[in-house]
Amino acid sequence: MNETISVTGLGIICSIGNDAATVLDSLKKGESGIRSMKYLQSKHKELPVGEVQLSNEEMKAILGISDPKPMSRTTLMGAIAIRQALEQAGISDLKGKRVALISGTTVGGMDLTEMYYEQMKTDDSLLYLPQSNECGKSTEEMAELTGLENAEICTISTACSSALNSIILGSEMLKRNEVDLVIAGGSEALSRFHLNGFNTLMILDKERCRPFDATRAGLNLGEGAAFVVLERDSDKSLAYISGYGNRCDAFHQTASSENGEGAYLAMRDALEMASLQPEDIQYVNAHGTGTPNNDISESQSLKRIFGDKMPEVSSTKSFTGHTTSASGSIETVICILAMQNRFTPANLGWKNHEEGAIVPTLGNADINIENVICNSFGFGGNDSSLILSMNKPESTCSAGDDYDIGIIADELITSADDLKELKEFISPMESRRMGKLQKAAHLSSLRAMKAAGTDCPDAIITATSRGMLEISMQFLEDIAANDEELLKPTLFMQSTHNTLSSAIAIRAKCHGYNTTYSQGDDSFRWAMRDAERLIKTGKAVTVLVGSYDESTATFSEFAERAGKEAPQAIYARSIVLTRK
Amino acid sequence: MEELILTLKEQIIDALNLEEITPEDIENDAPLFGDGLGLDSIDALELIVILDRFYGIKLANPAEGKAIFKNVATIADYVAKNRTK
Repeated sequence: MNETISVTGLGIICSIGNDAATVLDSLKKGESGIRSMKYLQSKHKELPVGEVQLSNEEMKAILGISDPKPMSRTTLMGAIAIRQALEQAGISDLKGKRVALISGTTVGGMDLTEMYYEQMKTDDSLLYLPQSNECGKSTEEMAELTGLENAEICTISTACSSALNSIILGSEMLKRNEVDLVIAGGSEALSRFHLNGFNTLMILDKERCRPFDATRAGLNLGEGAAFVVLERDSDKSLAYISGYGNRCDAFHQTASSENGEGAYLAMRDALEMASLQPEDIQYVNAHGTGTPNNDISESQSLKRIFGDKMPEVSSTKSFTGHTTSASGSIETVICILAMQNRFTPANLGWKNHEEGAIVPTLGNADINIENVICNSFGFGGNDSSLILSMNKPESTCSAGDDYDIGIIADELITSADDLKELKEFISPMESRRMGKLQKAAHLSSLRAMKAAGTDCPDAIITATSRGMLEISMQFLEDIAANDEELLKPTLFMQSTHNTLSSAIAIRAKCHGYNTTYSQGDDSFRWAMRDAERLIKTGKAVTVLVGSYDESTATFSEFAERAGKEAPQAIYARSIVLTRK
Repeated sequence: MEELILTLKEQIIDALNLEEITPEDIENDAPLFGDGLGLDSIDALELIVILDRFYGIKLANPAEGKAIFKNVATIADYVAKNRTK
């Protein structure tokens, strides 16, 4: 099949506007949404943030929710953006259509968990909350609020590239004719958890961020949601998805490589799929977080792609703040607005050129943009790039042949006692920062790869419903116990769900496709489906799929009090699939 | 000073979870990063937390750590001069 993928609707809510028209206006006027903290309950008021200028109650009113029970901002913002996107696409009747809702998030309902964690230990009426801490739950809640309860529901959690990977998955599903309509994007609320987490990494600027500037001192966190409606070759396209790449930098859990290898490979794959040359790109919406490390690494990757013919580049995180898991779809929507309205948004705050860094645009009010690249990178080096085009692409990547698939290794670990055997593969010095689940994931993966006779699979895909629960809950308890001070970076850096997939890639030096599904009990099914798609379409020969979850005493107790079976303390299954 | 150095070594081993290493294994003037003990940028952030937690020293910029965290002797020297608790 040679299908083009059309964007037929878009929705956005972030610190510079609660809808696309307002966001466009702020972008054109150069008005940043990074302000003093207003809604987030944190003592770190010295840190500016990009908050959506609505309280949870105001968002509930917009959505017509009268139920007084607490709901996550991740869910509320997501539902608002989805409704806007469906309305613009003119979709009211979904009867007979195969629909998928794909959302990217990492924080999920953490904003509520951190608020009610202590109360949950005694108050049974709050026991619905531990579940909503799962990423997948927020997507299910969004579906219920937007009439999408019968859609296939999927959540991707690759940290800050989650939303872009959702759009990539949706496009693949449409190309393979698995669905007729996709609503894809991401949503992420600010939380005390990740504000303190980024603070332990000492990469939050107390001033407004200045991406690519020589004096940049870090990022500002933001929040928001954006979704696009995707359809096959529609006659009412706002833009086309013409290419994409998902790669792993395979360098470090929280730092990008000096030459930006993962970013470079992702952009190169996207250009190849779109059958475009670098000179066909007029604008790049950079990941551009404003940290010293990201911006120099991304600059290097851009120079490797574009040489001295650099298109206009800006980081709109200077407007929105870094909206983490939602940033990929928020910036996709910004790219479409830029193309439609013939302008490039400014890279606010840039003044001083740094040797080796790109020189971003300060905004261009009149420019014809046919193709843009939108970059989105995450912890662990989960780097993705998307190309959006105004004109219908001549051809997109063919869906490929239907290869047969076989499982050549399958390793399971369900006991913490087994973890002693990790020494066979990894020294205690190398595993010093690993929590229980990370050790189990490594041990089962390394055993499976050994059994399969491969050192580096073409792709690594992880399924996890609760992610790094033990480490995350420890960090959460430390935040409360130490009053948001003296927190351990070691805990935060491995708290994201994609830690497992990317840590294995770093060990195996695997720069191939890398993603993480977090959709409750369906996570594994989504991961296997993706692996099969990759092999069938000839994009990978060997794929490592892992299903990893753990529980803690407190969480198991929550489950039992809610009348549910307590999850297993440790579960790690690694499978190697291959083309037959 | 000897006592401070031993305490620092114990605090480092504990904070960085250096399972099979004892204070005797860490020489006072052996490099902690790179070719020495093999610590990295995240460990450096943990060392910053140690200074704050036990000695009331706040480093605003991780780059300041580079000279201070060269080896245990340089840390002890810095702590002795700048501690507030």
